[in-house]
Amino acid sequence: MTKQMEDPIIQLYRDSFPDVARMIRRKGGTLEEAKDAFHDALLIYMEKEKSGRLQLHSSPKAYLLGTARICWLRARGATVALPETFDAAEPEDVDMEEREQSLQASLIRSGKKCIELLKAFYYDHCPMHDIAVRFGFNGTRSATVQKYKCLEKVRREIKINEAYAQ
Amino acid sequence: MRSELNEICLIDQWLLHQLSEGEARNFETRLLLDEAFAEKVEAQRICHRLIRHYARRQERFRLEAIYGLLLEEAGFAHQLNTIFT
Repeated sequence: MTKQMEDPIIQLYRDSFPDVARMIRRKGGTLEEAKDAFHDALLIYMEKEKSGRLQLHSSPKAYLLGTARICWLRARGATVALPETFDAAEPEDVDMEEREQSLQASLIRSGKKCIELLKAFYYDHCPMHDIAVRFGFNGTRSATVQKYKCLEKVRREIKINEAYAQ
Repeated sequence: MRSELNEICLIDQWLLHQLSEGEARNFETRLLLDEAFAEKVEAQRICHRLIRHYARRQERFRLEAIYGLLLEEAGFAHQLNTIFT
């Protein structure tokens, strides 16, 4: 029996986090801060990788160390630019957060299948053919039409939400 | 596709910077002149943002789960204890 392949993110986590934690500790940070900064950095790494925009000039670990350092400094209020604009920390003020939560409810109301389909296309950048297979559509055209129907559904929910908010 | 879906497709192409220069110019002219259309574009922009935020939250849950899993590994937990004590 062959051993199941481990998720590469778990490997990267195990390999990189202790070094990130050590760096943050040396700068006076806590374990919790190190974890938050590391998760921000990993998210940036994963998003860039998925969208084909990841340009590594060294190892993934070195990239994570550098990015986590910037994320940690930013979390402490320093104005340091990230490798590319990343709004992981938004929303910031309470009113905005309430509004965002209420908008998120619009997304949830569009249904689990719609959300997962939209996530697969817009966030995970999965090819339409793979999405068609995964979600049980006859082909890419049906999957594409369904994707737009889902967007229409979310858009309608947002409109209802806005009408309630006024 | 019905016309409403074609419009959603067009808005998506603009939001994802997939229109040609001429098409984008026409789109942006309509955006300035047609208020109802501008509202639809804004709603669709919000859709994209909501999807991104939803997905990030899912990924954060996943990373928290991975952290919990790794803490059960003696070597990993020991390294962190050594660093923070």
